[in-house]
Amino acid sequence: MIGLVSYLVFFATVASILAIAVLGLNLQWGNTGLFNGGVVAFFGAGAYGTLILGGVPQDGQLGGFGLFYPLALLGGMATAGLLAWGVGILTLRLRHDYLAISTFGIAVAFENLMRNAQWLGGGAQGLRGFERPLRAVLGDGFLYNILFLLCVLVLMVLTYRFLETLVASPFGRQLRAIREDETAARSLGKIPARIRLTAFVTGSVILGLAGGLYGTFYAFVSPQDILPTLTFQIWAMLIVGGAGNNKGAVLGAFLIWGAWTASGWALSRFAPIEAQLYTGSIQYILIGLVIVGMLLWRPQGLLPERLVVSQSGRTKT
Amino acid sequence: MIQHLLDGILVGAVLSLGAAGLTMVMHMLRFANFSHAELLSIGAYSALVFDALFKGISPVLAAQIGLLSMTGALALSMVFSMVITGISAVIFDKLIFRRVRERGEELSMVFASFGLALIIRNAIGLIFGLQTKLYSQDIVFATVLSRDPLVLVKPDQMATLGITLAIILLLHLNLSRTTFGYALRAVAENPSLAQVNGINLQRMIVVVWVLGGGLAALAGVFYGLNNQITPVIGRDLVLPIFAATIVGGIGSIYGALLGGFVVGIAANLAVMVLPSGYSPSIPFLIIIAVLLIRPNGLFGEERT
Amino acid sequence: MGVRNMKRCNRMMVSTLGVAMGLALSAGAAAAQDCTTKIGAVLPTSVDWGRPIAETAQFVVDQVNEAGGVAGCNVEMVLRDSQVDPKIGVDAAKALVDLDGVQVLLGAVSSGVSMPILTSVTVPGNVLQMSCCSSSTAFTKLAEEGKTKGLFFRTFATTGVQAAVGAKVAKDQGYKSVAILYKNDDWGQDLQNLIAKDFEALGITVTSATAINDGQPSYRAEVTSALSGNPDALYLGLYPNEGTAAVREWLSLGGTQHMIMANSLKSNEFRDNVGLQYLGKTFGTDTASPRVASADSFVAAYEAKFGGAPNGPGLANSYDATMIALLAMEAAGKDATGDQIAAQVARVTDPAGTPVTADAAGFAAARDVLAGGGNVMYQGATGNVRFDANGDVSAPAVVWKFSEESVEEVEYMSLTDVDDFIASLK
Repeated sequence: MIGLVSYLVFFATVASILAIAVLGLNLQWGNTGLFNGGVVAFFGAGAYGTLILGGVPQDGQLGGFGLFYPLALLGGMATAGLLAWGVGILTLRLRHDYLAISTFGIAVAFENLMRNAQWLGGGAQGLRGFERPLRAVLGDGFLYNILFLLCVLVLMVLTYRFLETLVASPFGRQLRAIREDETAARSLGKIPARIRLTAFVTGSVILGLAGGLYGTFYAFVSPQDILPTLTFQIWAMLIVGGAGNNKGAVLGAFLIWGAWTASGWALSRFAPIEAQLYTGSIQYILIGLVIVGMLLWRPQGLLPERLVVSQSGRTKT
Repeated sequence: MIQHLLDGILVGAVLSLGAAGLTMVMHMLRFANFSHAELLSIGAYSALVFDALFKGISPVLAAQIGLLSMTGALALSMVFSMVITGISAVIFDKLIFRRVRERGEELSMVFASFGLALIIRNAIGLIFGLQTKLYSQDIVFATVLSRDPLVLVKPDQMATLGITLAIILLLHLNLSRTTFGYALRAVAENPSLAQVNGINLQRMIVVVWVLGGGLAALAGVFYGLNNQITPVIGRDLVLPIFAATIVGGIGSIYGALLGGFVVGIAANLAVMVLPSGYSPSIPFLIIIAVLLIRPNGLFGEERT
Repeated sequence: MGVRNMKRCNRMMVSTLGVAMGLALSAGAAAAQDCTTKIGAVLPTSVDWGRPIAETAQFVVDQVNEAGGVAGCNVEMVLRDSQVDPKIGVDAAKALVDLDGVQVLLGAVSSGVSMPILTSVTVPGNVLQMSCCSSSTAFTKLAEEGKTKGLFFRTFATTGVQAAVGAKVAKDQGYKSVAILYKNDDWGQDLQNLIAKDFEALGITVTSATAINDGQPSYRAEVTSALSGNPDALYLGLYPNEGTAAVREWLSLGGTQHMIMANSLKSNEFRDNVGLQYLGKTFGTDTASPRVASADSFVAAYEAKFGGAPNGPGLANSYDATMIALLAMEAAGKDATGDQIAAQVARVTDPAGTPVTADAAGFAAARDVLAGGGNVMYQGATGNVRFDANGDVSAPAVVWKFSEESVEEVEYMSLTDVDDFIASLK
């Protein structure tokens, strides 16, 4: 029983971290209509930024500044935001699918940089030497994992609340306006480019938060963690959960991560011995089927966007 | 440097064929099809199966053609493989893309194509195994075109380039001179108006998929001939092909051709400047650079 | 239960088992146990080189079960695919430890996955982790800092040995300049760093060191740039997949046939796809199997089971990792926890212990020795495995060439020879 609880705590922590990332992407795509194909670059910037700022010095590498953890996390988020600002200025004016490919390319370039620049992030060996906050006091066991999960959940709820408030605010209305009818919005004096950039950077800062927490949880990050497959996973979570709906984003994260891990577990438990070697490929096929099936059945996601009517047309009687 | 340029053109030929098919599909059906590159995989593996079959049936076919490592059996297999791949593309459309098209929007189709790509790739891995396969284990030595500066080309690559150019020319002539070509372009520009004029939309969609699949199969076989055959051909080629399509401009066949060469050349020249560890980023840096100057690609037009 | 009680219980079980096994073996059928002990494995089965590694581990488990299992129980290996994705691998490891209750975990292959598994799952969970193939020097540093709590071992000889022997081959063959093609992952980068230094120490010029990325459509550009330095020889730190592509390109562009390869290219697939006729002047390096009959019997048993020699990256290491883990489990007895099993690893790899072979009979013999309180020296597929304080192995080395059947040995360097040579490079 204890084993099950311990595993579920672990699972929930990773799912919540990924949920924060999906929330960030939801702001970019669901609310603003920006097709961000390079999610993993901002996630990675957050992870590497946090670990470089908060880690113990390693030979031959930049970093090891040993900053106080919350500062390191904020630093990671700022790195992601800065990267997003630069990328946004260059690419946000591009069309839909071109934006996706360009941002994807940025993510590939970022991964290449971290893989080859050994002085920056340890190269392919990854960045270690980071001590999880308060580990010396609390040790490494079940208690620490529970407390860490609670912290992540709090951050996730805070992010959710922040985004819900944002969406209901005038800024949220601006986002919907430029998404639905850019010309009309411009006629009212709104500057779409600036609004988009703000949304893009804010969403990326949230992605950076998720990345920083990810790096902290494993106390290690390597180029293996920032491959395009993570972009695909985060997108799948958003699509399945429901783009444009923050609750959907969180739901999608838990569902897809649950499906991914459960399918691996189920295949290893129930598949016949002869098939054990092939479960890896079979799992990918199942995941592909889930994605395609979901899109055939309910392309708007499980929890579609709730259209907000700010003012009904009816006059008060 | 000349060697790198030449290499780029030769490598780019495969990308051009893949991009030509993709650009037609993207222009006509208006979505970024990430499973297009898996059609190259299907093409390469089908040809492998047929090649083994034909070699077994008639030893005459197993003889190599001239200086190439391509055998008569392989040449024949290419045709069969193009047919099979074209049919597969139509089936995928009927099963998946058509239904998603009716129900959802563009992003759903993009995602569905991701999911489909995963399925195809791993199914091929399950059926054929994950090991590297080759059409022919013989290593054909490169011909020396000039000694100083050292310029080498492999006969296989010259054949690939030649056939690619011929096919692209044929395709372009078809699209720009024949009634059929006009019909295809009309449907891409304005489906409703084209239908008003009596063009069968469904039939045109099938034709586009068959053409796209056939070109992809050819690209896949050439890739397998010049490199090797693994289940991850699609995964490895999807982004360079996208880069080629976008650089050339969606909807332009000549653009796809040029785009393929640009990406190939850039990837080869980049090694002279950047450490080779950064090679995977090069196609994207090209895309970003091109799009900043010409936001619709080199030959693309503003799309509605 | 007290330790003495466990030993007595063990001895009783072992002697009963011994009789049962004798009967079973003579009857030709494997003895069925009525209890099952699980071990976990997190390996990249969806990658071409990962599947054989998992197959080899399962092969060991089958052999041990044939010999009567561990501490009286059948061994079941629960295999999870890591998908070469750290978060998937860590989750799989956590599920294995928490849900299946394994005390021994085999895995993973790439250091990017093994490291987070180690820090997040196995060390906090007091579970023994045995990796066949993780090469990063970060693990050594981690162990030196005391963070592995003696729970981490790897049967992968440190890259330093591979690099040094590669450099020695270049010196012995009289090459004055070498170009390096290396895989752009943690193993390849490490290898390139080390061998470049070794070449320089020997006065050999490195004309270029080019990274080869996974899954590129063409390696023409990289090969062309390696060719341009006109080197006497080519050093390859690649896996069979990209190795085949790169070498075929190299040869067809007229590159020299003088090549030196790391042990990762010791694969029949590579030899067949490149062609034996071009590999006559190519030497490979590897860690050595012992010059004893047991090594041959291991190869024979492997060939009987899989129809091919145990060549290919990580296969011999995977075999040894699994077998040593099971031997340590046997030594620790029933219901032992991970740290107890880890403490027994030294007992089964004791250079002064009774030598046992790498097969079912060897396991049975080891069981008897261990039950009697003695120590065992396991003679594995990669040599007489001996771990240092950090869980690393250094091993004697061998230089090999491809042959019709598989590989033939060209030169053997004992552990002292290797150590002396490495010292001479400093």
